[in-house]
Amino acid sequence: MAEIQEKSGGKQKKGAQKKMHIRVDFTPMVDMNMLLITFFMLCTTMIKSQTLTIALPSNEKVENQENMSQASADDAVTIIIDAKRKAGSFDVDSVNGKVVNEVYYYFGKPGGDAGMFGAGGTIITENNNLKKSSFDLNDKEGIRKIIQDRNKEVLTEINALKKKYQDGGFGSLETKDGREKAQEAYNAAAAEIRKNENLKKPVVIIKSTPQASFGSLVEVLDEMQINSISKYQIDNMTRADSVMLIDFQNAHHGN
Amino acid sequence: MGRVKIAKKSTFIDMTAMSDVTVLLLTFFMLTSTFLSKEPTTVITPPSVSTEKVQETNFVQVLVSPEGKVWLTMNNDTSSAWSNEKMRMALLDKVSEIYNESHKNQVKFTPAQKQTFAKLGSFGVPLAQMGEFLDLADQQEGQTKMDKWLSGEDENPNHVTGIPINWNSDEAKPNEFQMWMKALRQTENDNLAQAIKDGTGVAIKGDQNTSFDIIHMVMDNLQTIHMNKFTFLTALKAEE
Repeated sequence: MAEIQEKSGGKQKKGAQKKMHIRVDFTPMVDMNMLLITFFMLCTTMIKSQTLTIALPSNEKVENQENMSQASADDAVTIIIDAKRKAGSFDVDSVNGKVVNEVYYYFGKPGGDAGMFGAGGTIITENNNLKKSSFDLNDKEGIRKIIQDRNKEVLTEINALKKKYQDGGFGSLETKDGREKAQEAYNAAAAEIRKNENLKKPVVIIKSTPQASFGSLVEVLDEMQINSISKYQIDNMTRADSVMLIDFQNAHHGN
Repeated sequence: MGRVKIAKKSTFIDMTAMSDVTVLLLTFFMLTSTFLSKEPTTVITPPSVSTEKVQETNFVQVLVSPEGKVWLTMNNDTSSAWSNEKMRMALLDKVSEIYNESHKNQVKFTPAQKQTFAKLGSFGVPLAQMGEFLDLADQQEGQTKMDKWLSGEDENPNHVTGIPINWNSDEAKPNEFQMWMKALRQTENDNLAQAIKDGTGVAIKGDQNTSFDIIHMVMDNLQTIHMNKFTFLTALKAEE
């Protein structure tokens, strides 16, 4: 382990102190440390989870209908997430074995102004205004493009704000302190824009079939954040929604 | 023939520098990391662009397995007057109080059982079996038996894993999951009650492949007892 070496050879003066070389072998120490490191690496986590805050409406029945704030039909965008269906079951990704999810949307009321149901509850399939979308960012009908298009007025302002922030409009970005201050001012200004009642803002209603995956829901919720949507809601599927979805899938069978 | 003389070289390598490095690394890992908590089921949280960090304390984690089983984990603020033990005992008292209001078969826990409960990590068994579950701690290899029960690998078919939960929108007749959540709000721990009110107190941890149906059931349960604000635990995803 440790050795003490006496310098040998050479002429040695009588009475001179012997020079000792003291060497400690650190190999076992390194071994032990490596073991400890391995242990810590395997048993611990460094990444802290992130959270996504959700606020659901109270599900108490509101007795006075007038008190309910209704989203105007023009602003409403409904997004429906569903698992991709195959004959009798669901389409499963061949690589990771996950259920493939699909996303649909419609503007305004289900079935347009005329509605999906005729007299006596008959279904009017011609009124189906459901369209298929995707999570693909480059797709013209992709969910991001649609939301961005609807939220154009807010996003233009936010982008202008971003540019101002990058150009140092909220203070210098040179120092850490300055960056923090600028970020704070930017966030306040962005929140102001999102709240601005004069801008046309969509109200996004997110619905999901029971078979769709939790991951897709979070993905859609992410889009809300990316595209600065201030008003969005997770809601239950209504009868009209289900009817439209089934009708659409029957009409586009095999796609 | 002259023999080639091979110079004798020492094979001694100085490991001091190496040792220095490893100790530094070790220190780094010890200081920056937190221990993985043992959970009854492994879930992969969905990726999200949200950068909000999870709270360190004062929240309850609702772990949801893809099969729809639910476990709770308490993350108590130990710096306050509420120690982990005190909080959990208060919770168990409260939940049995709520349970006994509506059930004929009353549950009652002995001080020893309460002590065991106070030391639990995650928990998720029906209240009617909680006593039996807590008694396992005194047996040989009790911890292993309890872990097996919690993760559903138990041999005994009568042992139910997960807190009973169903679609229930009648606030007057809460299911057991709702009882637990109500009890959490009703303990005198004001910090936790406030956190639950703010929406930071309840975190749902589900796998990204869990069907919406199951998450929806948990959300609906919370909605019924007026916990309309909560959070989803997500993993970080870089924004494109």
